[in-house]
Amino acid sequence: MSSAALFIALAAFGLGTGAAAGLLGVGGGILMVPFLTLAVGLSQHAAEATSLVVVLPTAIVASVALRRRGVGDLGLALRFGLVGALGGAAGALLALALPAATLRVVFAAFLTVVGLRLVHDGVRA
Amino acid sequence: MVARDDAMTDRALHVSTPLPEPDVRRPLDLQLIAIGVAGGILSGLLGVGGGVVMVPLLVLWAGYRQRDAHAMSLGAIVPISVAGILTFGIAGRVHWLDAVALALGAVVGARLGAGLLVRIDERVLKILFGCFLVAAALAMAVRA
Repeated sequence: MSSAALFIALAAFGLGTGAAAGLLGVGGGILMVPFLTLAVGLSQHAAEATSLVVVLPTAIVASVALRRRGVGDLGLALRFGLVGALGGAAGALLALALPAATLRVVFAAFLTVVGLRLVHDGVRA
Repeated sequence: MVARDDAMTDRALHVSTPLPEPDVRRPLDLQLIAIGVAGGILSGLLGVGGGVVMVPLLVLWAGYRQRDAHAMSLGAIVPISVAGILTFGIAGRVHWLDAVALALGAVVGARLGAGLLVRIDERVLKILFGCFLVAAALAMAVRA
């Protein structure tokens, strides 16, 4: 693919990822990292780093739009996120000590249980 | 306190809440701090944003409505991603051209997604998010 075509393809994928992120309340890394490794061919670390740089403006733009509409409480979210950021450093250290494959399996199980519970709640509500 | 009682009454009566949204303000308590730390740790651990863990905890544990939980998660992701960018010292690893291309699309998409989040039915949002989590779990299991 030419670099111009790649740029356009990435912007288009970013548009979809950003829309999903703004609606689902996530950063979008879970969508971008696999795309950057599988489709663009970046290494896992490069994909994670690049993805984080995109997550930041995505979350800022969505947060500002939602604050304007009075959804959530941005000031409070920024404060508990700041504490969480310190947890992130602890997580990075833990990641070096624990086997990543095991963590992924445990986390995948957590997501499945919680996801099914939310679908169940939504259908029954 | 009053605002949270209203939200619970709405849920109990199955009333779809009209705009404007009820007040969701509450103090920064240990529960929110724990949720932020869980999101941050997971973000550092697995290289994904903390949103996939913070949103379920905000809904099922802290009692936020789905819509507000999504907004809170996005706000918390801002400092968490800044810390991620700083702690990993990733300047050398970022593919800037790819990041700029993705971000140009993503900021436009984020406005569209946030606009939809404001209007979407609370139940539909819950089901959509649940399906997204299960899909994310499958993708993660495959990678593991």
